[in-house]
Amino acid sequence: MTRYLARRIGFALFLVIAVSSASLVLARLAPGDFVTDTAGIRRQTLEQERARYGLDKSVGAQYLDWLAAVARLDFGYSLQYGRPVRDLIPERAANTAVLACTALAFATLVGLPLGVVTGSRRGGTLPDAIRAVSLLLLSMPPLLTSLFLVFVAARTGWLPMSGMHSATVPAGGALVDLLRHLVVPAAAIGLPLAAMLERLQAQAMSEAVKEPFVIAALARGVPRSRIVWRGALKAALRPIAAVYGLVIGTLLSGSFVVEVITAWPGLGSLMLQALRTRDVFLVAGCAGVGALFLALGTLVSDLALAALDPRARESQAERG
Amino acid sequence: MTRAVGVALVSIAVLAALAAPPVAPHEMDAHFGGLLNAPPTVMRIQGEDAAWHAPFIYRWRLVNQLEQRYEEDRSARVPLEWFSGGHLVRSSNEGSAPLLLLGADSYGRDVFTRLLFGARTSLALAATAALGATLIGAILGGLAGFAGGLIDDGVMRTTDFVMVLPTMYVALALRAVLPLVLTGPQVFALLAAIFAIVGAPFVARGVRAIVRSERRQEYAIAAQALGASDLRLLVRHLLPSARGFVAVQITLLVPAFIIAEATLSYVGLGFPDPVASWGTMLHDASTNIRVFADCPWLLSPAAAMFLVVLGVNLVLQKSRPGVKSLL
Amino acid sequence: MAVLCTFAATGCRSNRPTADGVPSGGVPRGGELLASVRSEPRSFNRHASRDTTTNLLSNLTQAKLVRINPTTQALEPWLADGWTTADGGRRVTIALKHDVVYSDGHPFTSDDVLFAFEAAYDEQGGSALADSVEAGGKKLQVTATDAHTVVITFPAPFAPGIRILDNLPILPRHKLGGALKAGGIAKAWGLDTPVSEIVGLGPFVMLEYVPGQRVVFARNPRYFGKAPGGGSLPYLDRIVVEIIPDQSAELLRLESGQLDMMTSEIAPEAYAPLKRAADEGRVKLLDLGVSRNADGLWFNLRPGALGQDTRAAWLQRDELRRAISMAVDRKLFADTVFFGAGVPVYGPETPANKIWYWPGLPQTAHDPAAAMQLLASIGLADRDGDGLLEDAQNRPARFTLLTQKGRPNLERGAAVIRDELKKIGLTVDVVALDARAVIDQFLHARYEAIYFNADKTDLDPGTNPDFWFSSGSAHMWNLEEKSPATAWERRIDELMTKQIASADDAERKALYNQVQQIFFEHQPIVYFVAPRIYVAHAVRVTNLTPAEFRPQLLWRPDTVAVGR
Repeated sequence: MTRYLARRIGFALFLVIAVSSASLVLARLAPGDFVTDTAGIRRQTLEQERARYGLDKSVGAQYLDWLAAVARLDFGYSLQYGRPVRDLIPERAANTAVLACTALAFATLVGLPLGVVTGSRRGGTLPDAIRAVSLLLLSMPPLLTSLFLVFVAARTGWLPMSGMHSATVPAGGALVDLLRHLVVPAAAIGLPLAAMLERLQAQAMSEAVKEPFVIAALARGVPRSRIVWRGALKAALRPIAAVYGLVIGTLLSGSFVVEVITAWPGLGSLMLQALRTRDVFLVAGCAGVGALFLALGTLVSDLALAALDPRARESQAERG
Repeated sequence: MTRAVGVALVSIAVLAALAAPPVAPHEMDAHFGGLLNAPPTVMRIQGEDAAWHAPFIYRWRLVNQLEQRYEEDRSARVPLEWFSGGHLVRSSNEGSAPLLLLGADSYGRDVFTRLLFGARTSLALAATAALGATLIGAILGGLAGFAGGLIDDGVMRTTDFVMVLPTMYVALALRAVLPLVLTGPQVFALLAAIFAIVGAPFVARGVRAIVRSERRQEYAIAAQALGASDLRLLVRHLLPSARGFVAVQITLLVPAFIIAEATLSYVGLGFPDPVASWGTMLHDASTNIRVFADCPWLLSPAAAMFLVVLGVNLVLQKSRPGVKSLL
Repeated sequence: MAVLCTFAATGCRSNRPTADGVPSGGVPRGGELLASVRSEPRSFNRHASRDTTTNLLSNLTQAKLVRINPTTQALEPWLADGWTTADGGRRVTIALKHDVVYSDGHPFTSDDVLFAFEAAYDEQGGSALADSVEAGGKKLQVTATDAHTVVITFPAPFAPGIRILDNLPILPRHKLGGALKAGGIAKAWGLDTPVSEIVGLGPFVMLEYVPGQRVVFARNPRYFGKAPGGGSLPYLDRIVVEIIPDQSAELLRLESGQLDMMTSEIAPEAYAPLKRAADEGRVKLLDLGVSRNADGLWFNLRPGALGQDTRAAWLQRDELRRAISMAVDRKLFADTVFFGAGVPVYGPETPANKIWYWPGLPQTAHDPAAAMQLLASIGLADRDGDGLLEDAQNRPARFTLLTQKGRPNLERGAAVIRDELKKIGLTVDVVALDARAVIDQFLHARYEAIYFNADKTDLDPGTNPDFWFSSGSAHMWNLEEKSPATAWERRIDELMTKQIASADDAERKALYNQVQQIFFEHQPIVYFVAPRIYVAHAVRVTNLTPAEFRPQLLWRPDTVAVGR
């Protein structure tokens, strides 16, 4: 087991370096760079600015310098913010984590049970209605869902429409202020996510209820709800576990559309902005962190899978 | 909701896409300068005089250009023409009173026409990409789950790498390398390939998990004992058990690809302008601040997508005999 | 349920303080203004960055010697008390205001003015403002005769004179002198600087910067400006500038009253909902007239840029551009791109430039037939009857038009151009790329045609030499020519040199009219429509001096006030 973990973590690190390197090189190769933001600037001024930001080095030289710095745990400076990437990213990642965890909690608490309900029954209006709502949420682009929620927030005036904190802390306190700002972006991410989990869970449930042990349990007189919520659920969590880690990973690397629309200062919007402005070290840093989260996510997924399915664990033991 | 409903929905969508040129009242790139963001022209059969007529519409008259307010011109009925000029139905006065079943977008193009032509582009792209992703993912996942060991590791880590590489960066780099002007078919092939590669890892992971556990089942061991070759075991027995998961994945991938096509068009890897696609229609709608309040017809691609995805979902759902009576 | 009620309750009460002081001369004092910007500042230092947010920041916290009033075009003294000219305008003696102190209490003297110029001109420093405070490409000579007098000597006669000083914020030597010596003014005052370090002479000081969210400004109690009645300025207590990247979200907030103003004009499609909000009394909608800038279409006119491409025979010809100008229906253009809120323009100046716009400039009539004749004269005709033009070797008349993705005015304008040119048989492939990709192609002259903006800041053409001179970095169709590639460009160089040096206003106007005439005859850039500028602000904001140039409502932040 420990060898397996070590191997996976080692691979995760390799993945992070590989993806960051690829992103750095891609960002340098992409047309334009940090200084070419307006037309009509003198060439000499541009060259001076490039030199100032260190962009006059060749791609290869800059990459090697960066690699050497990374070995010292120095991930470079953001060209725009002038701050070390090492400081900038955790700040924003924390903001995204808050958002992601809330959305995930909402999606899990809503999506999974609904999926169980839909999957364990054959027909009926409730499962059909839930399925329809899920499919509707999955058909709406995240851009439109966020815009719609912002629109609703604007019309009703109950909730703030953007940002993470208010400029002046209101009477209710900072935490309440944060929670109020959290509602729109978390719903924008959480609703489609809940729909996805519901669909996956429904599918898995409908498979699980066909298992022989279900009929056996029924025959033994175990109450139906217990079969559904205990036995079948455990079996049905398998494919969910397979994607859950993935979901965590993707969420943590930032749902940039929602963050941009709701002006949530998270990792996703930082990544998009870094890409737009060709802030090369920040791009590399964001890609690396995204890769890290995804790699960890798949690891968590695989471990959960192993935990849930003794049959899989058994084969693992064989491999060692 | 039955499979029949699903089949019906998908068939309508496919038929509409295939029959777009005659069914759509206009050409794909026809635009009406004075009708930007015009509301849908309502088909009526009862006129102002309370008498019954053949189906007709009223012309939209621009009341305030900057505010884009329109008013029906009730003074004259504009009858509809059927089966004329190569189209199923058209207005008799196409120049100033075109038939706009779902209104017009911000360039003055008929939304219904673009919906139909967009169905061709988007559905074909999403279907191709989804099939590609499913095929690649199932093969990789099945292989990994079946073989185990180094092959499993190798395949899974490769898919991890693909998943983790930010698509936007790759797209931007690709845009720089490719020639500036890409034709519709070239963009189609490029996007289908990108989506298939990007979507495959999700399929692969799930399939691998299922194959790995199914492999230990009694029936699989029995089949092997009976002399089934590895390939036969994989294809005939193990992969089909992942069918349900794959079906759900397809319903998740199809709308995701349609939407992703709009996102990639943002870095310049989209279909060239007159080509309609649901993704870009939705993207244009989202840049219009009035879309929810005043111009909800611009969101019809989302409704269409929903119906298609629902249909696909209903078609792919498995019938579960014998369970109904038990639970 | 209880949770929801708490949320609602804390939300209903407005967080923004309203004015509470006794109005002085009818203008309410105090209160907080909530404005929005679309992007983060790139720096706190105007020397380091050109972006709009940094500019706004600089506007709020720094002061300049003079300020150009965008509505009247007049030069207003700001830090300067007055000035006298001598030697035919080549020497300007500026008297500085007395008893002016920086926000940290340090006195302002002529030494700071010298420092401002040193910082701009420093070779190592790489200031973004270097070109904006030069006259004819040469530096000004600045000396201080005493603590409150500065003498500026222009290297050559320069008609715009000290107008260019509107570009130069007077930064404090006692804070940045060290940075300049250390080799780089542009490196100073980056975003990682603590806001208490940012010192200036402007009406506001920075209070807080929350990265990705907002910048908060507080009233500068030491600001030297005085209200007409004699009271101190600014009227506002606080300005909060929120960073809202998405335009729709920004507009929704403005419409619903959660924002007082935006710092840029509203998009044409936002007019309808804002008009509704204005009718309901929630916002005030202002028509600020025609914009001074219009987007333009130009071709890559660098000799040899097309290499072996056979289209070089017609792609770089004047006739093609004149034909395009004739073929595009400008009214249709205004209707489609700006919903009718636009004015046709035929040259680089728009009617907004009251002094320099020449109404006598011939206006190209919309004449597709004449356009086709013109194209036939350079060998493009429909030789096979398919409705599309071909050249003499039967190759299709087709070119690529580059534009920027994500800017609706540009994308729609390009679409209109494409559709109008299709009517006369020219096929245009519109390629929309992201901003930096477009600029990169442009800078490397790797494009055929481009539809983009070439915005000018000040209205006096003498302050825009980079655009007019063939050696200029903003000579869009052929950047930084070593020598003029065509006779007419040489003529424009000569005329502009005279125009900039002449002291006689009438002569300058006549010369510039000639330049506009030459520009019209050769159409290096084809302009179509200049949009009307609309802004909206909350009803509570008063005492504004709106102008059509950005930031429309905050170019003079010291006199803005909010009422109840």
